[in-house]
Amino acid sequence: MASVVLSEAEKLYIVHGVQEDLRVDGRGCEDYRCAEVETDVVSNTSGSARAKLGHTDILVGVKAEMGTPKLEKPDEGYLEFFVDCSANATPEFEGRGGEELGTEIANTLYRIFSSESCVDLKSLCINPREHCWVLYVDVLLLECGGNLFDAISIAVKAALFNTRIPKVRVLEDEEGSKEIELSDDPYDCIRLNVDEVPCVVTLSKIGYRHVVDATLQEEACSLASLLISVTSKGALTCMKKVGKGSLDPESIFEMMETGKRVGKSLHTSLQKILDEEESLGTTRQKVGFLG
Amino acid sequence: MLGNVVRVAAVAASGGGGRLGSSAAGAMLTSRTFLKRTRAGAVVKVVREHYLRDDIPCGAAACRLCGARPAGAGLEARPAGAASHLCPGPHYLLPDTNLLLHQIDILEDPVIKNVIVLQTVLQEVRNRSAPVYKRVRDMIANPEKHFYSFTNEHHRETYIEQEQGENSNDRNDRAIRVAVKWYNEHLKKMKNEENIQVIFLTNDRNNKEKALEEGITAYTCEEYIKSLMANPDLVDRLACISDEGKEIESGKIFFPEHLPLSKLQQGIKSGIYLQGTYRASRDNYLEATVWVHGDAEENKEIIIQGLKHLNRAVHEDIVAVELLAKDEWVAPSSVVLQDDSQNEDDIENEEEKENILKASVNKNMLRPTGKVVGIIKRNWRPFCGMLSKSQIKEARRHLFTPADRRIPRIRIETRQADTLEGQRIIVAIDGWPRNSRYPNGHFVKNLGNAGDKETETEVLLLEHDVPHQPFSQAVLSFLPKMPWSITEKDMKYREDLRQLCVCSVDPPGCTDIDDALHCRELENGNLEVGVHIADVSHFIRPGNALDEESAKRGTTVYLCEKRIDMVPELLSSNLCSLRSNVDRLAFSCIWEMNHKAEILKTRFTKSVINSKASLTYAEAQMRIDSAGMNDDVTTSLRGLNKLAKILKKKRIDNGALTLSSPEVRFHMDSETHDPIDLQTKELKETNSMVEEFMLLANISVAQKIYDEFSEFALLRKHPAPPPSNYDILVKAAKSKNLEIKTDSAKALAESLDKAESPAFPYLNTLLRILTTRCMMQAVYFCSGMDNDFHHYGLASPIYTHFTSPIRRYADIIVHRLLAVAIGADSTYPELTDKHKLADLCKNLNYRHKMAQYAQRASVAFHTQLFFKTKGEVNEDAYILFVRKNAIVVLIPKYGLEGTVFFEEKDKTKPRLDYNSEVPSLTVEDTTFRIFDKVKVNIMLDASNIQHQKIRMVLVEPKIPGKDVPANPTTEASVSNEPEKKKKKLQK
Repeated sequence: MASVVLSEAEKLYIVHGVQEDLRVDGRGCEDYRCAEVETDVVSNTSGSARAKLGHTDILVGVKAEMGTPKLEKPDEGYLEFFVDCSANATPEFEGRGGEELGTEIANTLYRIFSSESCVDLKSLCINPREHCWVLYVDVLLLECGGNLFDAISIAVKAALFNTRIPKVRVLEDEEGSKEIELSDDPYDCIRLNVDEVPCVVTLSKIGYRHVVDATLQEEACSLASLLISVTSKGALTCMKKVGKGSLDPESIFEMMETGKRVGKSLHTSLQKILDEEESLGTTRQKVGFLG
Repeated sequence: MLGNVVRVAAVAASGGGGRLGSSAAGAMLTSRTFLKRTRAGAVVKVVREHYLRDDIPCGAAACRLCGARPAGAGLEARPAGAASHLCPGPHYLLPDTNLLLHQIDILEDPVIKNVIVLQTVLQEVRNRSAPVYKRVRDMIANPEKHFYSFTNEHHRETYIEQEQGENSNDRNDRAIRVAVKWYNEHLKKMKNEENIQVIFLTNDRNNKEKALEEGITAYTCEEYIKSLMANPDLVDRLACISDEGKEIESGKIFFPEHLPLSKLQQGIKSGIYLQGTYRASRDNYLEATVWVHGDAEENKEIIIQGLKHLNRAVHEDIVAVELLAKDEWVAPSSVVLQDDSQNEDDIENEEEKENILKASVNKNMLRPTGKVVGIIKRNWRPFCGMLSKSQIKEARRHLFTPADRRIPRIRIETRQADTLEGQRIIVAIDGWPRNSRYPNGHFVKNLGNAGDKETETEVLLLEHDVPHQPFSQAVLSFLPKMPWSITEKDMKYREDLRQLCVCSVDPPGCTDIDDALHCRELENGNLEVGVHIADVSHFIRPGNALDEESAKRGTTVYLCEKRIDMVPELLSSNLCSLRSNVDRLAFSCIWEMNHKAEILKTRFTKSVINSKASLTYAEAQMRIDSAGMNDDVTTSLRGLNKLAKILKKKRIDNGALTLSSPEVRFHMDSETHDPIDLQTKELKETNSMVEEFMLLANISVAQKIYDEFSEFALLRKHPAPPPSNYDILVKAAKSKNLEIKTDSAKALAESLDKAESPAFPYLNTLLRILTTRCMMQAVYFCSGMDNDFHHYGLASPIYTHFTSPIRRYADIIVHRLLAVAIGADSTYPELTDKHKLADLCKNLNYRHKMAQYAQRASVAFHTQLFFKTKGEVNEDAYILFVRKNAIVVLIPKYGLEGTVFFEEKDKTKPRLDYNSEVPSLTVEDTTFRIFDKVKVNIMLDASNIQHQKIRMVLVEPKIPGKDVPANPTTEASVSNEPEKKKKKLQK
């Protein structure tokens, strides 16, 4: 992963600051950086979003394609994740450099979304055992400025919120052969309910305290972080420790509590922004990549 | 997906500098998004960038607001147009899509001018009907019409986006209304002394209501056309499209509903329905066959019987058919039925007729039978024919009887029935509702008086799809400039053969001489024989307009008194014609032969010749026969004649067939061009002499181009007929105690030769005529696309057409191939593209077939003219075919063929007994068999101008109980049509 090299004095400065609940950029320990989210940025996807968190810049595209349901879940659709670490983000990603990280993030996303309640997968079924929608969630890392997971989860949630799946009808004739008919009204589509889609809150242990939304510099000072995914109601769906250090159980509980609290407010403000954007409809001036 | 994201990312990375530009152009760029399903079943979201502009001109000539004046005529500053009492002021018209699609005939009238065609409309038309699209484009291109196509979809102020809950049709309707509104506001700004209005024409009730709500002047096409004060007759040309809703309210339902296309496609996929081309029967309006597409072995040909099962399909439509259960299968009937009921809604009568079909069905003859469940594609075209005026006075609805018997009668509405009666007119079908016995249509064009030679010729050319317009300027521009002479450059790849004693032999009056011959003795004692063919490919260069036009025409069409040239006259009758005593370019095929006519050497070369004499067959024959003449030409002819005889014998020994079909020639009155006499063509020795060498040249060339281009040679094949085709011939011969062997062409030829009866000398000719009917059609094909090259009739393993490039396009291609093969000319890409060649062959085969039909129709028409002057005659005739209720006879004297019916409406039916084994037909106590000699009375039945036809009445043998001449029991309609497949000129 992208990282910075800090001198001991710099590290000490950061650690001592955190101790006093004052971070280098002026935030408190539980404060997020300013986040920017825009949806519908890639026109030929079913749904897309771009999230910027400080210098971290993530683009997510969701593409709905027709596929066959998995054998064990014949009446459900499913999600596929793919993460591409662009060499634009950091030169280390060049060639196959970003592959390992990409796989790691993708696997984490699978775990986060493995909880049944996250997305109503049954609504993605077209006809059991034969056709379902497969949502290909493609994540592209444009810039790494620390706290990748949180930024990615925000972008994924926004993109899923933005996703419009065309409505199809299954026509069945006497013979039992099925034909799928596509509606010719582009507005005639289904939306996903994203209320239960979790967001990731990464808590980095710095000194005796923990911070959310660590910058690259702060990440360099942290030996271990706890990654938890929280739904808007504060339910925890997945937890993972990252980093080479260890955490004692007590601080884990502490961090979980913080994570839930922060996660809830993160969800609220994200949902507010998304609803606001949605209400603007087509009149919204798109910012896109040139803004 | 991923690829796209990466691409977008790349834009993002380099996007910093583009900031300014993007915001400035932002309002002018939108994107159009739509979903579509791919073949594989995936749903794809397609996004297209869509640029808007503010510099698209409105097209009005007086407009100073729009900068650039459009190319072309545009709309007139003061639209004079036709005076209308609905909108007396100057106005432009703006039709919607359906109006353009359905009322194109009326829009093409010169009265309709100054029409704005929106891009939205044009695109929809293009998607829905290619022919109409082409006609609209032509009108836009025509400066006289002042049609203007306005690019509203790219105009900043008229572009709209599809809204929620709006389907694409609604959106397009709205786009049209927005454009009309814009135009009206725009034209107001012009500050002209007179305000031009834009009139919106639509037949869609909802759309019109919405337009009126929005303050747009809108009329239906009918309202507008009726309001035109000067042109009341235009109303007739309105297509009568009934609203879907109206249909159910009135009248009985005659036909089952057609299934929607989606259902049909599903059904075809799952195999419940079969898709095929609908071919109506010429002889029986209640029967049709459907040729199933694809290569399924069984159920290739499905019979459809009865009005309900035919279910409104029209000849040549692509339909979906459902097979009936096996116990409902029927046999093709041999009844001849014509739809002539006057009472159009008389369904009982139909059922009775349908029962006639079902009666006496032979169990062995049962064939797959089905019913039409839906129409996949209509193939309606404008039809020629005549009006059958309604018997009710003042009626506006009349039936129209097409000249082609396979097309049902069409109901049209007209107020000028009195003027149209007795005229040949063109009518287009608009629709066929379920409650109507006949399709509805509208009048398109009047061709002229029925029976006039010009009109009838026009009709038969139109009916046979023969392109006969004069050559366009574009085509003529590729003709060589006169005076033309042979230049140095022309001589580069040519041999100078001007010193050779070449001569041509053709029928009298021939101006397009495409072949010439020579024969001379060489020093080594062998003979040198040359066939010289006009070098048309020298003048027609690949790919230019002249070439394209010739390729489209495919062949020259010879009618009785008219020739429709494939190439312009300058070429056909002058520069390419190998006339005597002028230098002409030729493509020569030169053989060295010994006196046994064995080819020792073959050589092809482009050349220059100077024919010493253009002879007719008779003149050539005379020279050969008169011992006193010993000039070079005559010696050459004698040599050729001698070799030809040997060649012919060899060919016949190989199994080539000598077939016969009655061919007639008319002697025309030089003043009126009416036929005054009729004689069957006579064949002289010299005919066969020329023919032999042409065959030889064709075979030699075929071999050469095939050796050189095994994949791209254009060849001609004649497939062997399936053995069952010969059944009728074998049966017929058997009835005369003769045996015809059909296992091979050779056996057939030999048994035909032996089939002589001293008491009945004409029998052999009859047998040969019958054999001709058993044959398959010879076709052009591309050697790379086929592996059966055999020419059955000529008993040659390979064959092509090389010798008549002036009148056949196939020969031009063969010339080009041969020229490339011998290095005399360069090649071009299309020449070595077998798919392009295969397409070309398809067109040539079609044109040849149609030309043949047109030719026969022309003969039939002239036969009628002949009998008109000749009056009634009694002639000997032979029975050619026996049908269930009729016999088909041939009158050798006129080469005329006709049907004698034994049943007549409103008369007691004679007792008929049909035996399909022999086959024979017993009427009362008289039995008719094939080849029986009868005597018939022939006359032109002009009592009904509409159905002018030749009546044939049986004179001998008399049928007991019927007083023949006074009260004819037999009605005949005649056709001089040697083949069943042929189109009829007149009904």
